[in-house]
Amino acid sequence: MTTTTTKSKGPKKTLPLLLLAVPGLLYFIVNSYIPMIGIFIAFKDINYAKGIFRSDWIGFDNFKFLFQTSDAWVMTRNTLLYNTAFIVLGTIVSIIIAILMSELLSKAFAKVFHTSLVLPNLISMVVLSYLVFAFLNADSGFINNSILAPLGLPEINWYSEPKYWPYLLVFIQLWKTAGYGSIVYIAFIAGIDKSIYEAAKIDGAGKLKQIWTITLPLLKPTIVILTLMSIGRIFNSDFGLFYQVPLNSGALYSTTQTIDTYVYRALMQVNDIGMSAAAGLYQSLVGFILVMLANAIVKKVNADNALF
Amino acid sequence: MRTKKGLVSLLLTIMMLGSILGGCGSAADSNANSQGAGDSTKAKAEKIVFAMPSFNRIPSDIGRVTDAINAITVPKIGVEVDFKIFGPADYAQKVNLALQSGEQMDVFTTLGQFTSYVSKSQLYPLEDLLEEHGKELLAILEQDFGPDMLKSTTLNGHIYGIPVNKGVSIPTNFVYNADMLKEVGFSADDINSVEDLPQIFEAVKQKYPEVIPFGPVNVNPSDPGLILLLKGMYEADFLSDTTGIGAVIGDDSQVLNFYETEEFKSGVTMMREWFNKGYLEKDAATTSIAFSDMISSGRGFSYMASYSGLEAAKALSAQTGKNLEMKRIAPYYFETGAVNMVSWMVSSTTKAPEGAVKFLNLLYTDEELINTVLYGIEGEDYVKVGEHHVKYPDGKDASTVAYTAMLSTGIVGSESLQYQLEGVNWSDVELKLQENKETKKSPFFGFIFDPSEVKTQMSAVTNVVNQYLPGLVCGALDPETTIPKFVQALNDAGAEAIIKSKQEQLDQWIAAQNSQ
Repeated sequence: MTTTTTKSKGPKKTLPLLLLAVPGLLYFIVNSYIPMIGIFIAFKDINYAKGIFRSDWIGFDNFKFLFQTSDAWVMTRNTLLYNTAFIVLGTIVSIIIAILMSELLSKAFAKVFHTSLVLPNLISMVVLSYLVFAFLNADSGFINNSILAPLGLPEINWYSEPKYWPYLLVFIQLWKTAGYGSIVYIAFIAGIDKSIYEAAKIDGAGKLKQIWTITLPLLKPTIVILTLMSIGRIFNSDFGLFYQVPLNSGALYSTTQTIDTYVYRALMQVNDIGMSAAAGLYQSLVGFILVMLANAIVKKVNADNALF
Repeated sequence: MRTKKGLVSLLLTIMMLGSILGGCGSAADSNANSQGAGDSTKAKAEKIVFAMPSFNRIPSDIGRVTDAINAITVPKIGVEVDFKIFGPADYAQKVNLALQSGEQMDVFTTLGQFTSYVSKSQLYPLEDLLEEHGKELLAILEQDFGPDMLKSTTLNGHIYGIPVNKGVSIPTNFVYNADMLKEVGFSADDINSVEDLPQIFEAVKQKYPEVIPFGPVNVNPSDPGLILLLKGMYEADFLSDTTGIGAVIGDDSQVLNFYETEEFKSGVTMMREWFNKGYLEKDAATTSIAFSDMISSGRGFSYMASYSGLEAAKALSAQTGKNLEMKRIAPYYFETGAVNMVSWMVSSTTKAPEGAVKFLNLLYTDEELINTVLYGIEGEDYVKVGEHHVKYPDGKDASTVAYTAMLSTGIVGSESLQYQLEGVNWSDVELKLQENKETKKSPFFGFIFDPSEVKTQMSAVTNVVNQYLPGLVCGALDPETTIPKFVQALNDAGAEAIIKSKQEQLDQWIAAQNSQ
């Protein structure tokens, strides 16, 4: 099945398939490609009396606020490091869960576990922030009152101590998303030909050996694709996680400020669509470059695993 | 095989890129559909869209009220009103979206964003139309506030908005649980200034160890009312922006960074002492539990907040279920931003500016229209019980009545023409209007800062202020070590450019005032 054989079948055969793609293509044209025209807003000083198209061009002035503060470095570092941690740890934890799940023999148990794995992902960040608050609250929180106090340890003022938050946020993010992320892997493992494992068993390979030499190598293309897709969003952060969960506490900015929260906080007051467009464009552009780079590297190492 | 996978991957890539760039947004054009009442007059009547924020439950059907409004406006001024109500959380967003997308939006208000609308040329200059169609409106503002009210919304000779005509003088009050105060052996007479408070807190703390003596009135970000207290005590004018970068104190026209002043330092040092003595909760700066909830559960004693008049504690008692009283501890000081905080504006893209101004004129001067907007239809949504007073129909209250926007009384029209709920003392309304005239005005009242040339710096300092201010005003951070860091971060973010720009504009404004 190569492109040449597809072409030779003529338009009659491919037309129904093309029609199938129409709704999807329309969706992307309307929701993704037409709005891209708005990119020019990032370079304009929007003046409503003149209208969007007649406003003055101001070059890169709208981008300046992203680099204005001493925090510019902090928020870029936070965004990149958190997302890297989420990608690496998220993939590892998801795969571990998936492998464990696929070893479950009882069908009834598997159903219960599958469902409970997805549940945290359905909890909204606002609700989650209050779950976390119930644990961390300084006066009546679970950790201070029921764990630290009986152990004779001093209370911790969680919402004003930035040093704990990198661990807390990574843990919360994994708790919420790892189960959901494992579903793709579970599906893929279920699709692996069982006879390969049987052959390995006959050759005397134990469970760990089977995972190491069969499951993981077969999972590799999936891992690469999913990782490449996450790299595209490495400059975007989950606003809810970084804004709602730390309860917008000023004292925690040094470890919770990301590009998205900075843009939100900065523009709440100024309310300028040119500057918000600039921030969005900057994030997209860096994401795009990183995807291209990562893909090029993958291609160098193993051309079959690359996205394009 | 290879190519097919490539194709699938390509589609995935497109999908991904699309979702990344999708955030840029596009302008959707939709026309507001009206459900007006005027039948025969409809062809002639000018149509305007009027959007109001409501703090009450938003009724699902406001067609009845729209009809009642049009029954007043169509015969009187020939204007057909499309009435819209949004909750306070999404009001500004809905209005901005309509303005940005070109949807019709003629008459709208703002909660503190007046300057931002002006600097983006989103407002229609009203001075000529007001001369022609707003004579009664100008007269009632003069009668209830005094001659200068529109100075707070005038920029370069153009009037861009009409401030809401109510008691805008809101002195800082100390609000406390009166039963507890009596139990610890003090009375309201013992409270005259902020210096009298620590001894009371100490007594409360001794007698009720479980009770938190003092808390921030607003949370997220936490604000114990300290900045307003300091502004009133030291006559500080923030020069029409809320960041506090570029303020003047008293009559001196030297623009300063408020956070570098001794006045600010003494304020936060006082809060630090309160915090260290345990008068505030340990997580006061970051809590998300409103202190009014602490008070109603009996775990909180007092807070500081700004209220006009002397009767606000009655409503607060009803809300919290505790016997609350309040006592003024600092005067109020009129700066531009205090008066134009809530202003009604007309969009610069309006197609019916005359109709909009005629409607505004009526909204400030027509008792029937104001109260229809606020209380709905007489007999159905409210019952009159006196010249100035109304109540809900029997068996109904604010949450079960078909329509009420009672909590928007501070936002719409003229307070002197509004009905009050049964039980509110009418003399309090008169007192509020009297205080409008007596409250001291900043010598720079009427100066409006145009932030457009320093908007980059404004957005950056806003972030720094959010980071440090809640911790400082709640006493959670040590002022000795934090203020220098705070000021340094502000300067890194461009505070000096803002101060310089403000000083230039202020000097020009003063020169223009003197030459008049």
